[in-house]
Amino acid sequence: MSDKRFNFFAIFWGIAALLYFFVPLYGTFDFSLRMERGVLGFKAYELVFADPRFWQGFRYSITMAVITIIFSVSIFVPAVYWMYLKVPQARPVMDVITILPFIIPGIVLVFGLIRTFSRPPLQLTLRPWSTDILMVAGYIIISMPYMFRAIDVGMRAIDVRTLTEAAQSLGSSWFQVLKDVIIPNLRIAILSGSLIAFATVMGELILADFLVRPALGPYMVRIGLTKAYEPAALAIISYSLTWFSLGLLQYFSSRSERQKQQVIEE
Amino acid sequence: MSHLELTHIHKSFTNFVAVEDFNLTVKQGEFVSFLGPSGCGKTTTLRMVAGFEIPTSGTITINGKDLTNVPPNKRNVGMVFQSYALFPNMTVAQNVGYGLKIAGNSKSEIDARVDEMLALIQMGKFAARYPYQLSGGQQQRVALARALAIRPEVLLLDEPLSALDAKIRVSLRTEIRAIQQKLGITTIYVTHDQEEALSLSDRIVVMSQGRMEQVGTPFEIYNFPQTQFVANFVGSLNTVKAEVSDPEKGLLHVNGVQFITATDIKSRKKGDAIRISVRPERFSFAEDRKKDNVLDCTIENITFLGSVVRIQVTIGNSRFNMDTFNNPFLELPKIGSKEQVTCSKEAVLVLDE
Repeated sequence: MSDKRFNFFAIFWGIAALLYFFVPLYGTFDFSLRMERGVLGFKAYELVFADPRFWQGFRYSITMAVITIIFSVSIFVPAVYWMYLKVPQARPVMDVITILPFIIPGIVLVFGLIRTFSRPPLQLTLRPWSTDILMVAGYIIISMPYMFRAIDVGMRAIDVRTLTEAAQSLGSSWFQVLKDVIIPNLRIAILSGSLIAFATVMGELILADFLVRPALGPYMVRIGLTKAYEPAALAIISYSLTWFSLGLLQYFSSRSERQKQQVIEE
Repeated sequence: MSHLELTHIHKSFTNFVAVEDFNLTVKQGEFVSFLGPSGCGKTTTLRMVAGFEIPTSGTITINGKDLTNVPPNKRNVGMVFQSYALFPNMTVAQNVGYGLKIAGNSKSEIDARVDEMLALIQMGKFAARYPYQLSGGQQQRVALARALAIRPEVLLLDEPLSALDAKIRVSLRTEIRAIQQKLGITTIYVTHDQEEALSLSDRIVVMSQGRMEQVGTPFEIYNFPQTQFVANFVGSLNTVKAEVSDPEKGLLHVNGVQFITATDIKSRKKGDAIRISVRPERFSFAEDRKKDNVLDCTIENITFLGSVVRIQVTIGNSRFNMDTFNNPFLELPKIGSKEQVTCSKEAVLVLDE
């Protein structure tokens, strides 16, 4: 009896959650299809895709996302690895530091960057390429909670210290340990951190807007000020990108599990 | 000729001395076990030989070469860990061949050596498997093969059997010893299991609180313990308070019951309080009364332990355990009955605290 009641509440809350999430999404999608009076179509999407500023923003954001991922992984994998090996007691401190981007508003971060780097000796806001350096630095900080946690979870799943010592006793240098033993065992963790960082950078608005860079976020806002249907189409495109990233993440994680299972069955 | 030499090794961490004045010389092909309770410094000493810890003072040499400050990847020392430490992303063959690949060996050399090592541990058909597809015992054998593949000068084993169940532990330790003897490799084995140390080793180093308590063959360690700690830690032991009654003749009193010991107690004075120790198996029921100590006792309890029967007796006011081998025709006394037990004077040990 109690099981049935439990099931009923579980189903009820499950449906309520799905409705809460999908009804606005469906509403936005439906609205994005109604650009032409009396016809359901993809006109708004066609206009968005035909706009060179969209592609410019898209290309810029993707480039920034890829650079952010490369630098994030290069910084956080060795840093977290070093922390696990040499100063495991620093983990609670790292935990607090890495959630700071959740606590400190993005606007504070961007003003901090502008105030610090728009005057000598490190005047980076004068040229586009040097402003992009600031953008990447900001994106690394914004995506830090996700990247750190993904790598931290990955490290926790393996016995980092013993594997390192085992590899060293076989003649490996630090670099070889990291390359041959640690990183291959963190593949899924690095991938999940990277995909979440990718989705975060693709939808980021405040940094790009205040540093006046042609990213996708500011483009979406500008379109929203003058148009009705295209912003809805852009919201759906943005959602799709995020979902695509999460889908990839899910696919690679489950593929790794499936491969293990397959080998066991063989 | 010494192969591995540890001289005046001292290791301290903040506010804690882990190893103190450790001196040991190990011959080529010798199997030496470090035996002691948790926290006695045995693993720290092993890790210093491996290069994972640097001694605060002292030197470590292998084949006369000072390795005290040489990093672990330059020592050519193979190590087997308690938790196997196989690389999860590599197959058995890749794990075994990893050290050779790092050393820059050719593929054909690596393949040949991997085959040889897998044949040695009888796991040739598991070459393509991943560690998670192997049992604990199989993983540890692969870890052993991986450590041996690089032809290390010294093999270090850090409680390699602790995570395995009892039966596999016994079979694998026999296998480890056979492989070690076949290859003639100098081996240091860390364990807190006295049975493992006694059955495997050429020599045992018993450690306590960072210090070497005694170094000797298993026979010496068991039969001639030099300290109370060694006697207590290795094997079972009855320990009671006694009083010296005649230092010249080696006579003692335990609650009014006289014992004679072969230990030299001439330096003690009559009336001195000491502790004596007797191993349970050194007592036997008095049939011929020819032994030095013939003692009246009361049977208090009898416990069947499989191959051994443990009998608890009271001699005077002191309780002692006595072990006798089990056999189907064993006639055991009744609980509460009065009997006589004997032991030789050599069995009565007077040990330093």
